[in-house]
Amino acid sequence: MALGTTENKLDHLHIPLILCTLIICTLGLWNLVSATRNAPTLMWLQQAKWMGVGIVAVAVLLFIDYRWLMTAAWPGYVTALGLLAGVAFAGKKVLGARRWLQFGSMQLQPSEFVKLAVIVVLARWFTRDETGARKGQYGLIDLWRPFLLIIVPVALVLKQPDLGTALVTFAIAMTMIMFAKVKWRDLIVMLAAGVGGSVLAWNRFLKPYQKQRVLTFLNPEAYAKGAGYHAIQSVIAVGSGQWGGKGWGEGTQNQLAFLPEQHTDFIFSVWAEEHGFIGGVLLIALYTFLVLAALDVAANARDKFGSFLSLGIAALFFWHAFINIGMVSGVMPVVGVPLPLFSYGGSSMLADMLGIGILLNVSLRRFMF
Amino acid sequence: MLVRRDVDDIREIRPRAALGALIVVCCSLVLIVRLYQLQILRGEEYVNQAFANFRKSLFVPADRGLIKDRRGRTLVDNRPSFDVFMTPAFCKGKERDDVIARLKSYLLLEPEDVERIKSDYQKSWLSKDKLERFKPFMIALDIPRDQVDVLEAHKTEMSCVNLIPTPHRAYHAPVSLGHVLGYMSEVTPEELDENPSYRRGQTIGRRGIERRWERELKGEDGKQNIAVDAKGRELDKDTQEALIPEAERLVPATPGNNLILTIDERLQEAADQAFPGRAGAVVVMEAKTGYILALVSRPSFDPNKMSGRISKSELAALNSDPLKPMLFRVMNENYHPGSTFKVVTSLAGLENGIISPNSVLSCGGGYTMGNHRWRCDKPAGHGPLTLTRALEVSCDVFYYALGDKVGLDPLGEMAHRLGYGQPTGFDLGREIPGIIPETTSITPESGSARAHAINAAIGQGEVNVTPLQQAVAYAAIANGGDVLRPQIVRRIESPDGKVLREFPPEVVRKLGLKDGELEAVRAGLVAVVNEAGGTAYRSRLADVRFAGKTGTAQVMKLGQRQKLDPSMVQYYSRDHAWFASFAPAEDPEIVVVVLNEHGGWGAEAAAPAAARTIESYFRLKRDDAAGPPVATSAVVQ
Repeated sequence: MALGTTENKLDHLHIPLILCTLIICTLGLWNLVSATRNAPTLMWLQQAKWMGVGIVAVAVLLFIDYRWLMTAAWPGYVTALGLLAGVAFAGKKVLGARRWLQFGSMQLQPSEFVKLAVIVVLARWFTRDETGARKGQYGLIDLWRPFLLIIVPVALVLKQPDLGTALVTFAIAMTMIMFAKVKWRDLIVMLAAGVGGSVLAWNRFLKPYQKQRVLTFLNPEAYAKGAGYHAIQSVIAVGSGQWGGKGWGEGTQNQLAFLPEQHTDFIFSVWAEEHGFIGGVLLIALYTFLVLAALDVAANARDKFGSFLSLGIAALFFWHAFINIGMVSGVMPVVGVPLPLFSYGGSSMLADMLGIGILLNVSLRRFMF
Repeated sequence: MLVRRDVDDIREIRPRAALGALIVVCCSLVLIVRLYQLQILRGEEYVNQAFANFRKSLFVPADRGLIKDRRGRTLVDNRPSFDVFMTPAFCKGKERDDVIARLKSYLLLEPEDVERIKSDYQKSWLSKDKLERFKPFMIALDIPRDQVDVLEAHKTEMSCVNLIPTPHRAYHAPVSLGHVLGYMSEVTPEELDENPSYRRGQTIGRRGIERRWERELKGEDGKQNIAVDAKGRELDKDTQEALIPEAERLVPATPGNNLILTIDERLQEAADQAFPGRAGAVVVMEAKTGYILALVSRPSFDPNKMSGRISKSELAALNSDPLKPMLFRVMNENYHPGSTFKVVTSLAGLENGIISPNSVLSCGGGYTMGNHRWRCDKPAGHGPLTLTRALEVSCDVFYYALGDKVGLDPLGEMAHRLGYGQPTGFDLGREIPGIIPETTSITPESGSARAHAINAAIGQGEVNVTPLQQAVAYAAIANGGDVLRPQIVRRIESPDGKVLREFPPEVVRKLGLKDGELEAVRAGLVAVVNEAGGTAYRSRLADVRFAGKTGTAQVMKLGQRQKLDPSMVQYYSRDHAWFASFAPAEDPEIVVVVLNEHGGWGAEAAAPAAARTIESYFRLKRDDAAGPPVATSAVVQ
């Protein structure tokens, strides 16, 4: 389509979104240096490389109209499922879970990209499907296909097992469905089905360590020795930050390794310990701004596909950030979910960057016909 | 083909996006409120918890006070050794099992020790007090040097295990002082409940000086706070200094105070060597002060063993030994005094006007009361005797007659005046009072008061005394009438040598006897040793004139009291041999009491030991006077 007026288009770049992303990335890298000071390798450098790759990918993506994703949706979805299946058979086992695929010296975590693939394929389905428009509202029966699209990857992720990513993927998809017109009655039925499903999942599918985590959340003191240790140490880290924090590189919980997984799932605890309430509020504000910007892009997209894509990305950032920060500050159970753009991890960094790229792309082309 | 969104779409999406935005903002506010709650409202609490995470408290054991003899010779001090402790918070799960397995093999722990360690570990975690798990608990005390090396070599694999350099007690004194010094052992849980200032694994004084003066000797433990990481590894110096305020880094220990005893270690050894029996006691006391110079209680125990690695079987053997090594014979066992008690009868007779120093009583070889006849040692009889002569030859009939005339209660009254029948006030734990019969306390079945008096007159029947009481009574006779409190601690000094407390001689009471009475008895005691007919004449010394009284106390019939090795029956049927003495006879400096359990004749089995001890005392005194002054400041006041 019309690619000739690049200069004009770039005038419409969502500058606040870019700035917000870059600020979070910079703070994240700075924080990671502190969190991994005692690590044998320079992990922050690795993270910076992936950040660079992500930024380049965003830049390249800007030149391709997002509507190309309509075409790429199915191949992307199938590829993502293929990779997940690959993980199940040939994945690298770390701490009892198969989550990674090894490509030479590089590791890839397909579940991070599955989230994007699900967002794209759902956006495509809601754009193409006429039922909603015809009936005015979706009933549950009308949604069996999107549900199928969600359930397959979620089940594969759960099998790894990766409860956190499965939950987030499911939450993102549900959020997108909410934004399509669904009957209230059906929403309630879904909720009931969700509860029933959880009970079933609890009894049939959850691994003991996953059950332990939920139990630990419900009663952390009773499990202080084992699983609750993470939750308690994280809350101690956050709480001991007080107003202004202990200062960069001075967090005892972080530096003396009392915080578990301090560079991945518990990266916010490091931040809150070293930069206190002020730093914590700043970071929450940045993520809130990011999600609000994504919603803004969704509201102003030029077509339904762009809207749903942006909604999905908004949901992606929202759920990740909310669950992660909620988890490390003890308002949610400990489920392994990275903090977008902050936690160490190449796959998640790249996936998050691609999400930002999609947002910028939709926003860039909002006035194009 | 995509179509541009229509107005409907926008109308649909915008309100929902707005609602979504509202929800997002609300959720963010929830998180911020939570952060406020954690960081601002409860921030201090978490700061303390974070602090408790990395702060590891190690105690710095205080040096226990030294125990020295009167000349400043160290009898008990502390030797460096290592105790092993473990901090539960720093090893969890698999690491715990690994560490315990390592400790088991490195320290050669018994299965019961391993069980105890596991249960202590568990208790720390289950404690309501969250900081309890950060408190180290005891794994093993006083481990051998080679085990220290092994633990040092595996330090990194067991970062939750700490080697605490702890001074342990070292007893350099002769084993014969075991009862006097006592020993150390671990505090019991009950004692911990009563005394919160002690910690698990700490030792406390048992018996003797160690127990009586625990509070002076103990000192106060110091504390060292160090910063560790989550694995319990000690951090580098800079981080330490940044994390732990200087004032909390090291609280130094305060050493305990030193005790200077009245014991002379050399004389103690000499007395022990001079004593020939398998069981018994020797008391050497200054006649005018009550200060104890030597105190043998045989058999004894080795405080070094009792304080450390005594095996269960050794302990069982110690407790089942028929000679009762744990019994402090000096003040915790009753003996008939036999003829040594005749000084009491003599004084009672004189004081009550029954006899005068020159009165004569005749011995015909026996004494009859009613249809009972008490025989003398010399069947032919001693003939007419004065008091001096009666003591010299230890004529029983003289004393039967005298006792009969004096009566049971006046005899008992004199015994009490001399310190019998009551604790001497020796400040070294429980002391038995002995038995002095009175008309009110005897039962009719055991005989009439007259019969009791006749028996008591020669230290038999119901009369029971301790060797220490004998020393006190003979000292009173020797020094002219002061009943002294025996003492063994001369003074207490601070670690830097400052005198904190002195123990001056203490006169419990004056005998208050009429002029000449003590002189008459002393003349008899001099004759015992220095006259050709005296019972202890063979033990006299060439260069020191001393005085004393032999005693041969009949023991109770064995009966079915205990099952004994047949070879021991003869031993247990033999009489107890006594010798109570003072020297020099004219101006007494020391009192020496020897009790040789089942030793036979006092003249043969006790007097020579006393003589040799007296000889040693004066030899040592001459050495001290001739040689250079003893090189110890402790003697100089």
